[in-house]
Order: sequence, then structure tokens, then C-alpha cells
Amino acid sequence: MSGSEGGWFTERAVGELRPGDHGWLAYRTPEEREHVIGDFVHDGLRGTVEKVVYVTDAPPERLPGVRRLAGADLADRLRRRQLRVLPLKQTCLDRAGRFDPPRMADAVAREVESAFGQEFRAVRVTTELGRLPAAPGPAGLARMLSCEHLVDQAVAPSTTAMAVCQVHRDALPRDELAALRDAHEVLVAANPEYDDGVLRLVRTFEPHGLRVEGELDAARHTVFADRLARVTALRRRAHLDLSGLRFIDVAGLSLLARHATGVPGGCGLVLDDVPAGVAELIDMVGWHRLPGLVQGRRGSAPGGVVTS
Amino acid sequence: MTLEHRAFLYRGQEEFLRVAVPFLRDGARAGDAVVAVVCEPVLGALRDALADAAGLVRFFDAEEFYRHPVRTLEQYQQLVKAMAARRVRALAEPVWQGWDAREMVEWARYESLINVVFGDVDARALCSYDRAVLPEEVIDHARRTHPLLLEGGVTVRNGRYTDPVAFGEECDRARRVGRPAGADYLPIRSDDLNPLRAFVGERAVRYGLPEGSARNLVTAANEVAANALAYGCPPVGLWLWRDGRKVVCEVGDHGLWRPRPDPLTGFVPPGSALERGFGLWTVRLLVDLVELRTDWDGTYVRLYIG
Repeated sequence: MSGSEGGWFTERAVGELRPGDHGWLAYRTPEEREHVIGDFVHDGLRGTVEKVVYVTDAPPERLPGVRRLAGADLADRLRRRQLRVLPLKQTCLDRAGRFDPPRMADAVAREVESAFGQEFRAVRVTTELGRLPAAPGPAGLARMLSCEHLVDQAVAPSTTAMAVCQVHRDALPRDELAALRDAHEVLVAANPEYDDGVLRLVRTFEPHGLRVEGELDAARHTVFADRLARVTALRRRAHLDLSGLRFIDVAGLSLLARHATGVPGGCGLVLDDVPAGVAELIDMVGWHRLPGLVQGRRGSAPGGVVTS
Repeated sequence: MTLEHRAFLYRGQEEFLRVAVPFLRDGARAGDAVVAVVCEPVLGALRDALADAAGLVRFFDAEEFYRHPVRTLEQYQQLVKAMAARRVRALAEPVWQGWDAREMVEWARYESLINVVFGDVDARALCSYDRAVLPEEVIDHARRTHPLLLEGGVTVRNGRYTDPVAFGEECDRARRVGRPAGADYLPIRSDDLNPLRAFVGERAVRYGLPEGSARNLVTAANEVAANALAYGCPPVGLWLWRDGRKVVCEVGDHGLWRPRPDPLTGFVPPGSALERGFGLWTVRLLVDLVELRTDWDGTYVRLYIG
């Protein structure tokens, strides 16, 4: 659980969402959306027992996660009604073209109810909130909140349905974004790239890079180098958020420097929020001995722990 | 140009100032980068005597500078680097009080290593030794670690100067073997060193190490164990015990380190983390003392920290 102004939330990796979860994703970049919603959709579509309901005006073949399917597989999923793409106009708007929350909630509920007749065991619902033509200002926000309330009523008690409401952070004013977020109990996060209980690697999108949590040692160098290579292969300056790094071995520092000097374009690696214990080690050997590594944002991360 | 490394053996402050002051002043006048690293009250006396060269000589308190031989070598390297292309002239008097016999050996090794680390640097180093107060053992080491001697106002080539590798081998003979019967033991069977870090960290704190030192010991032990797993032969194990005010941690395996580490291994600061030897050098920085022993019965790396 994490506390934040306005309420308490459970942050959950998208792969860990459970039936009854009504989650919230305010993404920063299209890449983040592709990563998180893509996993949500693809997890549903890669098997045969889950139904995916996507409320959007985008064509099916351009949806996150769907692009990972072969073309023939997409046609098959649509034919079997395993993937339902509901256009905003038909699903959410009344005849006058105004956003109509009960209408949308009913449309989603119908899809959930019909799933069992179609022999699906679970339903995943996702909606692009930012594209809803709600009236601006308090009236629009009130409609959106009532929509969230109705979706919550439909999903929260369910043992088979889960929903993720997605919106680009810049699509709504900050206070409206916070109010909508508060209507959710689960904040949806990217699946970790790796997690063995000691080391956890999570993609970050703004800035582009990886969050490195836990302990990095020789037994985990190979997997770390692999995930790092995926991030730096994109030819953008990558940041490593080290705020949760409790231990790095000396050879791990060498690994970082070796990788940073080989990054295409010579843009190196930025180390953000280096914890005090790790910073002491780096200061001791000297930043100048770690070519390609750049000290980035300095937060107030606590020092490394002595015992793990 | 190469390093001129002289031991200056003197008796008392008057003789010291008679030589040290013109040495530093001449350097300042010649445009050299001039540093003096000595203890108080000599530091104050030097400052006063060199008031005319104020701003041209950088003074450092030796008490702050000479705390850990491997770190001091690296500090000097940074100092030399910061002086860029200028010729360096340094007057240095290490601290010889407050160390135990084993630590004194490491400071003597440090003097010897100066010849290796700065061999190619255009510098004149004058290391002063007060014969009136220092034990004969220290003076003897000085005679064996400096290619030149300045004694009685005369500089002579030093016939007793010993090559740093040979001198290091002698220093290595001071290393200790044997472990107390009650030492804590952890067999290392898996590549995953998370349990080893917990084992070392928890005991280091229980044996009274401050948190920073405990963290350094965990990092050092982890590195040595990872190397034993990568290059040594099983069984690999770790022992840990308290010895007076120090905590001792030893990692052993049954492999023979080949090629055998020489007495300079891990002492010379590497240029970067990409160079070989960075790991062992960092381990030496992290703890007070590292002893390597590779023998018929295996390879043992012993870490001391207090």
C-alpha cells in the first residue's frame, strides 16, 4: 500500500491484477501505455479462456498488445468475440452526443454477462478515459466520476472481471486526474522485467530506463546486463533509478561502466537517486574510474542496508 | 623525467626546517606544484617560515592524509593529476605513531609502492624521518624504500634500496595464518551470495562494527567470495571472528591462484573500473588490511576491519 494525498492505493504490476480489481493507469508516454496495457490485453488474448473488452475509437489492429498477435490470430479473436472493441460513440454517448455514464456502464456490463455464454472464464475491460468527450470543468468531471462509480459497481464485486482505466497524464488537468485516480483502489504498474525476490528490475518511461531494486550481485549480472541492453538498444540516454538499490557488488560497478562506454551514440548511463551506501562506494573508487556513468537526480534515498 | 624519491633523515625540527624550507621555496620559485604534508606543530612552523611563498605551497595535515595506505596512494594520485602538467615537488612525513606492528609494515610497503605508482611522474619527493623520535625499524624501512638518501646535508644513492616486488614479498611474510577455533563459518555452495551478505552483515554489526564499516566488509567479502566461486576450486568457505578491536573475515577455496598474485597485486590504483585488478584494489580500499595467501592448501583472502 502506498499513501498519497487523497487516499490509499495498492500498487500492483499489471500481471498481478486480480478479478475484482478496478485499476488506474495515468501513463506518461505511448511507450508506457504499450508496455502496460499491452501486457494487460495480450495476457487476455494469448489464451482462449479470457475475453478482452476495449472501449476505444482506435482500430483493433492498432491496439496495445494486439500488435503482438499474428494477423490471423487477431481475425480469429475478433470472430470468436474474444476481443471486443467498443467505439466510444456507440458505447458512451447519448443521442445528443453527450457522455452518458450509465450507457457506458450498461455496455460494459452486457459484455461481462455475455462472456459466460461465450464460454470465457474471465473478462478484462479497459477504457481510454482521455478520449471521452465529457463536458469541460466540474460537470464533465462529475460525469466521469459517476462513470467510474458505475464501473466500480460492476467490477469490484466480480469474481471474473477486472478493469483498467487508462489516461494520458496530459489529457486532463492535474486536479481532475487526481480526483479520477481517487475513484480507484489499484494503481497499475508495469510488470517487472525481472524479479527473483532479491533483484527487481522495472522499466521506467519518463525518464527512459530501468528501476533497479534490491541487490545486484554476480549471480544476477547476466540477467541485469540483458535487461540493460534492451533499454540502451533504443539509442536514447537511459536512466537507472537506483533509489531502491540496497547492494551492488564491485564487479557490478564495472559492468555498469563497461555497458555505459558501449552504449550506441556514446550517451552513457545516468544514475538517479543513488542511495547513500552505494554513493559511498562510488565516491571511494571515484566517478572518474567509472567511464560513461553520469550522476543524475539526487533524491533522499536512504543508505544501503547492512543485512539483507 | 621520472620520480626522484628521497628519504631525508634528520634530527630535530631545526635540521628539518634548514632543509625543508629551501626545498619547498626553490620549488615555488621554479614554478613547480609544491605540496607539504606534515603534522602539527611542524606544519605551522613551515607555514611561518614560508610566508614569503604563501599561496605557492599547498599544505596538508598529515594526520588527515595518512590514515589508510591504499587510500593515501590514491589521494596522492589525485593530487598529482590535479596539478596537471606541472612538475611536482612534495615534502611528506607520514604518521608513524598509533599503528600496530602489522600496520607499520603496510605503511613501509606504501613508501615502497610510491616508486611503482609514481615511477614515471616528473616529481621530486622528499620523505622526512626524524631519527630523534622514530623507532629504528621505521628508519630501516626508510633506507630500503627510497632510492636516494639525504643525510647530514648530502644526497647519496642508497645501496640498500630494495625493489618494491622483493620488499612487498617481505611485507607479505608478516601476514598471519591460523584461525580461532570458535570462528563463525559459512560454507559457500551457491552462486547466490545473498545469504553470505546477510551472514557477514549481521555478525559485523554484532561484533561492534559501525554501520559504514559493516557495509564495507559486506561488499569486500562478497567480492572476494564471488572471485573464489568464479576462479577458485570448491569447497569455498568463509570464516569470521573478532580479534581485539578488529573484525577478521577470511574467504578460502582449494584452488591455486595462477599466475600467482605478486606483492603489487591490487595496490596500484587502476585507471578505471574496466581494468583488471579493479576488484581487488577496491577490496583493499574498503577494509583496513587485506592479506592474500595462495599455498599448497588453497587460496585465502583475509580481510581486517576495525
